[in-house]
Amino acid sequence: MASAAGATAPTRAEVLALFRSLLRTARRFSDYNIREYTKRRTIDAFRHNQNLSDAASVSTAYSDGKTQLEIAQRQAVVYQLYAPKIRSVMDIKPILRS
Amino acid sequence: MASKLLASNLRQTLARISTFSPLRSLSTAAATAPALATSVPETFEDPNEISIKGVRISGRPLYLDMQATSPVDPRVLDAMLPFYLSRFGNPHSRTHLYGWESDEAVETARAQVASLIGASPKEIVFTSGATESNNISVKGVLHFYRDKKRHVITTQTEHKCVLDSCRHLQQEGFEVTYLPVGSDGLVDLDKLRSAIRPDTGLVSIMTVNNEIGVIQPMEEIGKICKEFNIPFHTDAAQALGKIPIDVDKWNVSLMSLSGHKIYGPKGVGALYMRRRPRIRVEPQMNGGGQERGIRSGTVPTPLVVGMGAACELAKKEMEYDEKRITALQERLLNGIRAKLDGVVLNGSLERRYVGNVNLSFAYVEGESLLMGLKEVAVSSGSACTSASLEPSYVLRALGVDEDMAHTSIRFGIGRFTTEAEIDRAVELTVHQVEKLREMSPLYEMVKEGINLKEIQWSQH
Repeated sequence: MASAAGATAPTRAEVLALFRSLLRTARRFSDYNIREYTKRRTIDAFRHNQNLSDAASVSTAYSDGKTQLEIAQRQAVVYQLYAPKIRSVMDIKPILRS
Repeated sequence: MASKLLASNLRQTLARISTFSPLRSLSTAAATAPALATSVPETFEDPNEISIKGVRISGRPLYLDMQATSPVDPRVLDAMLPFYLSRFGNPHSRTHLYGWESDEAVETARAQVASLIGASPKEIVFTSGATESNNISVKGVLHFYRDKKRHVITTQTEHKCVLDSCRHLQQEGFEVTYLPVGSDGLVDLDKLRSAIRPDTGLVSIMTVNNEIGVIQPMEEIGKICKEFNIPFHTDAAQALGKIPIDVDKWNVSLMSLSGHKIYGPKGVGALYMRRRPRIRVEPQMNGGGQERGIRSGTVPTPLVVGMGAACELAKKEMEYDEKRITALQERLLNGIRAKLDGVVLNGSLERRYVGNVNLSFAYVEGESLLMGLKEVAVSSGSACTSASLEPSYVLRALGVDEDMAHTSIRFGIGRFTTEAEIDRAVELTVHQVEKLREMSPLYEMVKEGINLKEIQWSQH
């Protein structure tokens, strides 16, 4: 976070690119719950921060998001390496029986 | 060994092949080996199905047992992994980089844990889990002050490890008062006050109950303990990271914490020990004097780092998680209650942790219900006692009727639970309960207006 203080605020395009990268990485998780959580947490965090106006807090949030993206990218690989053979029932039968 | 395995494997497969093509030569393994790869008879089985413990499961069940354990958060694992790779040093090695970097990571984790409960890092001792912390607290305090203090107060609904430690003390000649709880699962403060004696050495009451999720009035209990100057221990394994904890506000002297209930790794926990006024314990584990001699043995750096990361994450995410879990809890309760009658929520309605929903379904046999719900991973109570058919001692302490105690199911909602999972769990539970009630003569009688409690069951 040291770079956040001096750094200029990210552009709108950069923020959107981060958002899309996070969602794309979320889809790569083999685990149903982690995949849904990463997607949901990303959307909720960006929604929560959408009205941030001062440059310092925007760049703090941006660099925090970058860190989260790096973690997600690494962990998506780990999860793929050890994906269980049997998938979650939620993936197999996504539609409710009635 | 490997060649033996291969040979027996080959023999089995060969036997299978031979039933298809009896003419194939079986003389050399080499000749048949290429054919094996293609003829493994997996096509006969549904690839999405496994059979384990005699139950056929068509997919990994959705997980609603967060009180038993929680999945490791990927962010926690990310913090841990480096310490399983190149940074493997012993944190107590004082002579090289490996030790220094591990030690630094352990101290960071200590600060992270301390900050979540409002303590100083110097007051945190890492242990193997909340069970060990509870053992050190209950037995350690009484053993240390054994000359003057001969009495412990606890409740009937404590976790097994506290109750068992107390039983152990009783065998050594100490006296233990097991406070009863009300039908809402909460302790009566007046009863606590009147149970205190001059030689009471410890009050141990858990913060959040593992089976029914009720939150005890910690602040009030702390005040009473302060008034009589008695050390107060609490098992906060189920509370950490879920409800705000402040050791000073609660006036606790000792607090047991666990890693795997807060999306951290299993096999690690912590014990908070107050420094001012200082509480002292007799260690259970003697040895190299790590963790200030309270808990000797090499501190497991990766696990401790994981617990620290989980605590920091819990602090950051507590508000977000709570809002979400509250919504999911309402969704679950409303969903089930909309379609079923005779559903009772066990424990206090107001003072409870939202992620723990312990429900009893009248006129249904609990084990049958659990067996029918094989696509939902739930439990009838605590994982420790889930092997026995006995109804939960916690529910019995609440005064829940035997038949209702037999039909309890604990739904544990957590950070990674989705709306779709709740909907599925509701649908499957309702379906299963309806099916079982359809078969139940008791339910039929109730429908006809017969009061089951007034029936005289004759013996044959």
